[in-house]
Amino acid sequence: MLSVSGVVKRYAQPEGEVTVLAGVDLSIASGEAVALLGESGSGKSTLLHLAAGLDTPDAGIIQVGGQALAAMDDRALAALRRGTVSLVFQQFHLIGTLSVADNIRFQAALCGRLDAAFEAELIDRLGLATQLDKYPHQLSGGQQQRVAIARALLHRPALVLADEPTGNLDERSSGAVMALFRDLVKAAGSALLMVTHSRDMADYLDRRLWLREGRLHHEPG
Amino acid sequence: MNRAEPERLGGVIRALLSHYWRHPWQAVFLLAGLVAGVALWSAVQIINSHARASYAEADFVLGAQASHWIRSRSGAGVAQADYIALRRAGFRQVFPVVQARVSTADNAPLAIIATDLLALPAGMAGEGGDAFDNASLDWQAFVQPPYQAWFPAAVASELGIAEGEQLALHDGRRLPPAVIAAREQQGRQIFMDVGAALSLLGRDRFTALAVGPASPDDVARLAAALPADLMLDANQQRLDLTQLTASLHTQLTAMSLLSFAVGLFIVFNAVRFSLWYRRPTLRTLRLVGVSVRALALAIVAETLAWSVLGSALGLLAGLGISHALLPSVSASLQNLYGAVVGADLLLDPVTIAIAWGMTLVGLAFALAWPLLLQLRGPVLPGGSASAGVMAEARARRVLLVGAGALALAAAGVYWQMGTVIEGFVLLGLVLFAAAWALPQALASAHRLLGRALAGAPLVQRWIVSDGWAQLPALRTAMMALLLALTANLGVETLVGSFRTALAGWLDQRIGADIYVNSAQLDTRRFVADPVNADWLATAHARTGVTIRWQGRPTKVYGLDITTPDTRALPLAQAEPDALARWAGGDRRILANEQAHYLGGLRLGQTVTLPTDGGATDYTVAGFFHDYGNPYFQFYLPREEVARRWRDVQSTGLALWLKPGEDNETAEAALVAAGAQPGEWFAQGDIKRLSMKIFDRTFAMTAAMNTLTLLVAGAALLTALLAILHERLPEFAQWRALGVTRRELLRVIAVPLALFVTLTWLAAIPLGALLSWLLIHDLNVMSFGWSMPMLWSPQPALKLGLLSAGIVVLVLMIVLSQLTRKLPQAMAQLGSAQ
Repeated sequence: MLSVSGVVKRYAQPEGEVTVLAGVDLSIASGEAVALLGESGSGKSTLLHLAAGLDTPDAGIIQVGGQALAAMDDRALAALRRGTVSLVFQQFHLIGTLSVADNIRFQAALCGRLDAAFEAELIDRLGLATQLDKYPHQLSGGQQQRVAIARALLHRPALVLADEPTGNLDERSSGAVMALFRDLVKAAGSALLMVTHSRDMADYLDRRLWLREGRLHHEPG
Repeated sequence: MNRAEPERLGGVIRALLSHYWRHPWQAVFLLAGLVAGVALWSAVQIINSHARASYAEADFVLGAQASHWIRSRSGAGVAQADYIALRRAGFRQVFPVVQARVSTADNAPLAIIATDLLALPAGMAGEGGDAFDNASLDWQAFVQPPYQAWFPAAVASELGIAEGEQLALHDGRRLPPAVIAAREQQGRQIFMDVGAALSLLGRDRFTALAVGPASPDDVARLAAALPADLMLDANQQRLDLTQLTASLHTQLTAMSLLSFAVGLFIVFNAVRFSLWYRRPTLRTLRLVGVSVRALALAIVAETLAWSVLGSALGLLAGLGISHALLPSVSASLQNLYGAVVGADLLLDPVTIAIAWGMTLVGLAFALAWPLLLQLRGPVLPGGSASAGVMAEARARRVLLVGAGALALAAAGVYWQMGTVIEGFVLLGLVLFAAAWALPQALASAHRLLGRALAGAPLVQRWIVSDGWAQLPALRTAMMALLLALTANLGVETLVGSFRTALAGWLDQRIGADIYVNSAQLDTRRFVADPVNADWLATAHARTGVTIRWQGRPTKVYGLDITTPDTRALPLAQAEPDALARWAGGDRRILANEQAHYLGGLRLGQTVTLPTDGGATDYTVAGFFHDYGNPYFQFYLPREEVARRWRDVQSTGLALWLKPGEDNETAEAALVAAGAQPGEWFAQGDIKRLSMKIFDRTFAMTAAMNTLTLLVAGAALLTALLAILHERLPEFAQWRALGVTRRELLRVIAVPLALFVTLTWLAAIPLGALLSWLLIHDLNVMSFGWSMPMLWSPQPALKLGLLSAGIVVLVLMIVLSQLTRKLPQAMAQLGSAQ
């Protein structure tokens, strides 16, 4: 589902150019859940952004569902993120002016892929049934993150990209939400690439990769 | 305060100000709001104080402040020999005046005024006198051939005359070489030496002699010394320009204060946003032990710095704007009151001090509320979004309660209103009540729209519902926009109504084909001459006398009761059969509306006028419209005027031509009878000239309105840029969800368009209310003119389009910012924001 080949990314800094990704190769199959670990500043989020088409690499090829992102214009990238790729961030960024129910349906409505049965399942499993008429500011952080997860999965995206999705939650909530997230991703049939600095969270997923000095490793350093 | 405290305070100030290095546009908008507000206010203040100074100087105007006039009873003018005899008899305060109307080769009318500079009494003018002491003007060249013709700069510019040029007249004669006079006390008249004027006009008599300051004994001696043909009149035309123009200056000040208020909205926006963005910095400073007092001091220091910078730049800009607006204001003053203001504008210390004081108070007001909220709260507030939503709803409710209080105060003022200043206080209360009620009105309308769209597709509901996220930031800008739109609509309706009323009034009043005003023409003989009977259908020779009534110069006109214009005289208010009873010698008098509204006369009331035979009583039979006249005026039948006053002057002749006759025949007959080109006007020319004067008079109003709307546009831009800055991470997240750039722009644009449309809709009835108050109360109290209010949808539509244009322009700027900043924001998604 996701293929990253020889990707290089550099940033200009006052002290000179810094190479964050120095030829990264990665492949994730449909239904597979991969955790990407690494220290702060190691380039984990950068790789996630490149995979979502939010940023462009200096070299290398990124393909999602067999389509090269480099060949896509802004409109095509928006369409890709709308229907094929879903992003979950530490900041929930729910739409404050819409109800919880509308927030859950938001991305599915954008791509015209509403599925009432799956929606009911997500709401039930995420424990949001009593919160649907509320607005985001009336929810706790954990509840808001559950809404963000439901929003990201309802349209059954082929690829879910998550950046510290439980980073704003306490330890106990994190574990529960993480387990649920993994199960729901599987239920949606999506591939998952999740950035985290927590080994505990990474253990919930199928495979773990470490990003060090711009390259991917299969073992911690 | 120990020695370390100033250093600590410096550090706090540096930390707070560092925000502006990262967000320079906020500094720009803060400054722009201050500068715009101060500039518009100070521009009007500079013009007002300058105008008042000019009125003091304008006392000169060749006899406007003369104590008396000496005129010929026959209207033939004063012989030079009589003048010389008076001077030789020791009357050194008597000086000659020649006034004439001529026309240029292009038929543009020109007024000439001339005197003998050397004969002007001390203290009025003359060598070393105060009126002609301008070093650039050579009085010796003025009094010797080839003489000089002093052109006011505005007139020279209109005629395209350069220094030293000799202007050609209609009949081929040429004026002396032009000097562009730095002083304009002669009004729009061209000033020259009396010898040069007599030679140019081919006359040997002065129009009149003016008498400078004279004691009662001198006046008695002078009256006794006059030959039989000459008469001595007390000067009834002495003007109190300061009193006359007070209303106009009050109106200008009110408009400038409105501009200042609109500017303050920008400041309020900018300060609010800057404090909002600096919350983390303030929090950090408090966490590291900086006291609330030190923070408050630092913000006060920052406020002081902004006030000094803003008022200094605003005053400089105000000086520039006042230079640009001065011609319009001069035109208003000249056309309405005959008052002339000079061209040199200066900033006086009082204006500077008030500007700084107002800026400081305005900034304190704009800072006070957010600062209080910021510093009164706990160091680490809960900061829940829920609290923010509730605070916003509470702020709207507080504003609504304030609006209700202002509306109640406005109702109270309305029932007690008696002065122009109270009238403007009322307008201010109404405008601000409406502005404060607007956020709640917008919220309610938005809620209703949301309910109406409950069944609509989610994306549509999302786009509309985003208004709730934008409303807190747009609230202030919408209030500023409402003020600007309402003021524009109100004034546009006033000016439109006035223009229509004036045009209709001119159509009714200017019924004759030609209007003549010539000192040389013997009107009685001209009308009676059988040679003119072939083309002349009817003539109306008006007479008049100037008296003082209620302390003001007042004209009493004698009308021919048989002429068509008198028989069809339109009256604003009248008793039954008013014209018939007035013409029937029933001691009835007609008065202008000014005598009613400003002089306090009522229908059927008795008015006592000073006549030669003593005080005479008349009953007021009706009031006639008299637009543009700052003085009181009465109409009596011509025979009654002749019976009551000995020294009645001819005040003009109106001629109706027989069908098929053209103006050329009449003009040839007028020239043959001694009138000079420029001393008559065709009907169409008078109407065109009147409307042109009207438009010039209200040019200032239009300019101020446009500037106020621009300031409101700037407030809108500030708010949208703040929204963009604050919500950029959110917008980036939406883009990450697959929202296209077009959809994102729709999310920003649709609620904005919705709020602007609602604000525009609210401004329409408010503008109508404002114009109703202006027309029925303020205008009547200021000028004594009444007119029907004519509401037209055109100004509202025009302003709607203009607002839409501003919104599009602002959105384009926001879009360019969005395009520039969004990629970076998207790249930072997921990082600590």
